[in-house]
Amino acid sequence: MTSLPLTARAPEEVIFHRGAVSVTTARFLAEVADLAARLPAEGPVLNFCADRYLALVAFAAALSRGQVTLLSADRSAPRLADIARGHGARYALSDTDAALPVPVLRPDATPGDAAPNPLIPAAAVAAIGFTSGSTGEPQAHAKPWGALVAGARGAAERFGVTAGTSVLGTVPAQHMYGFETTLMMPLHGGGAAHAGTVFYPSDIAEALAALPPPRLLVTTPLQIRALLGSGVAMPALAGVISATAPLAPEMAAEAEAAWGAPMREIYGATEAGSIASRRTLDGEAWSPYPGMRFEIDADGARVTVPGLPAPVPLSDRLVWVADGRFRLDGRLADMVKLAGKRASLAGLTRILTGIEGVQDGVFVAPDDLDGNPRARLAAAVVAPGMSASAVVAALRSKVEPAFLPRPVVMLPALPRDAVGKISRGAILALAGKR
Amino acid sequence: MTTTFSLEAEVASLIVEALHLEITADEIDPEAPLFGEGLGLDSIDALEIALAVSRRYGFQLRSDDERNHRIFASLRTLTAHIEKHRTG
Repeated sequence: MTSLPLTARAPEEVIFHRGAVSVTTARFLAEVADLAARLPAEGPVLNFCADRYLALVAFAAALSRGQVTLLSADRSAPRLADIARGHGARYALSDTDAALPVPVLRPDATPGDAAPNPLIPAAAVAAIGFTSGSTGEPQAHAKPWGALVAGARGAAERFGVTAGTSVLGTVPAQHMYGFETTLMMPLHGGGAAHAGTVFYPSDIAEALAALPPPRLLVTTPLQIRALLGSGVAMPALAGVISATAPLAPEMAAEAEAAWGAPMREIYGATEAGSIASRRTLDGEAWSPYPGMRFEIDADGARVTVPGLPAPVPLSDRLVWVADGRFRLDGRLADMVKLAGKRASLAGLTRILTGIEGVQDGVFVAPDDLDGNPRARLAAAVVAPGMSASAVVAALRSKVEPAFLPRPVVMLPALPRDAVGKISRGAILALAGKR
Repeated sequence: MTTTFSLEAEVASLIVEALHLEITADEIDPEAPLFGEGLGLDSIDALEIALAVSRRYGFQLRSDDERNHRIFASLRTLTAHIEKHRTG
């Protein structure tokens, strides 16, 4: 059975910047061994660490003990409880005070004695990522160690990440995009990631300035928009990677002019990981990562990813263009993506109509959902005696905040067209008036 | 109708405008939580409020501010923070 080491980096290379501390591979391995020795006997383990370095140490320690890490980008209590129950989580590794559905162990980075670089079977499931399915329940996507390593190597090569590149991520470590670019890439691709959490424009600019150049910013269209809008001064950047939603060419042009660095995008999905990239200003075509095999036909698109056992269906429509590249031609009507998370409109509608007092209802996506980072879903609801805010309050415990409808239009009956189909256009027209 | 100008009302209007909320500014309970229960805002909104605040009041919100949770606790706490740090 093929095995791959926990890390491919040389012992003295820096793989993380944690405040003023530059963490070398040797120190990382020692800290992993120290934590691994203190872990409970059995996983799976829910990784809830906000500090990116602790998230990596927690993942690596669990991996070295043969325990699967559960990665949930959704940090809401009901979803975490679903995941913990559905996957038999035994404990959580967390550096926050958040209440979690399983016993919590607080990892700390303790420099121990020099430790070996563990070998991990390539076929072993290292992590499980989650998406929302059409039923609204979390769907699990297992990540074999070999697939994660191949993805990290591919990304580093694609983006020219060298050993000395500083990587600042604004996406949580538990989001597959953040996990691949800021945890896996330092292990197997290159670069040194920033451990702290950054969110607001000034956090991002200050954290970048404190990192040694060359600097790579890994972020989202929403945060690029906020960075440009706030006008904070940015240090010299070698590049910016954006994912979770398409970056508008106008915004990419503005950012390249302001920061003097190429704006590149990753196309991917939790199920498949990162599978293609493009420089936004070079046009709409995406170049597949090495080793990816795409099949596009009337039923949709699937990608065969090195290390994954089966082809992965994609929720976008793909069209071939020249040179083995493809462009996106809209998404499958039912799937929507907001704040880097995906949900099924049918699944959301099922949750809505399951609320006590709601007789009928439907979630609809506005036409600008894919192009406007601030777009929200709307809902039309038939619930005599209930207010819109009561409907939202009932949804709040079951639906992620990003998918809560805004506005909610209360109606005596859902508008239907001549053949009895719910009229999305009529609902959006009503929503637009609010 | 008389209008009593106050920073709190101004910030309430800023939030309603920036986030395209369905309510009017005077419907925001100044003591109610802005996030989660209460007004039900999320992280996309937090970024949007930070952007609007930087444009209108000339300073940046930060997440390493230890009082960040308290700043966003309610309209009243956010207003107090703006009052203290505004440059514009």
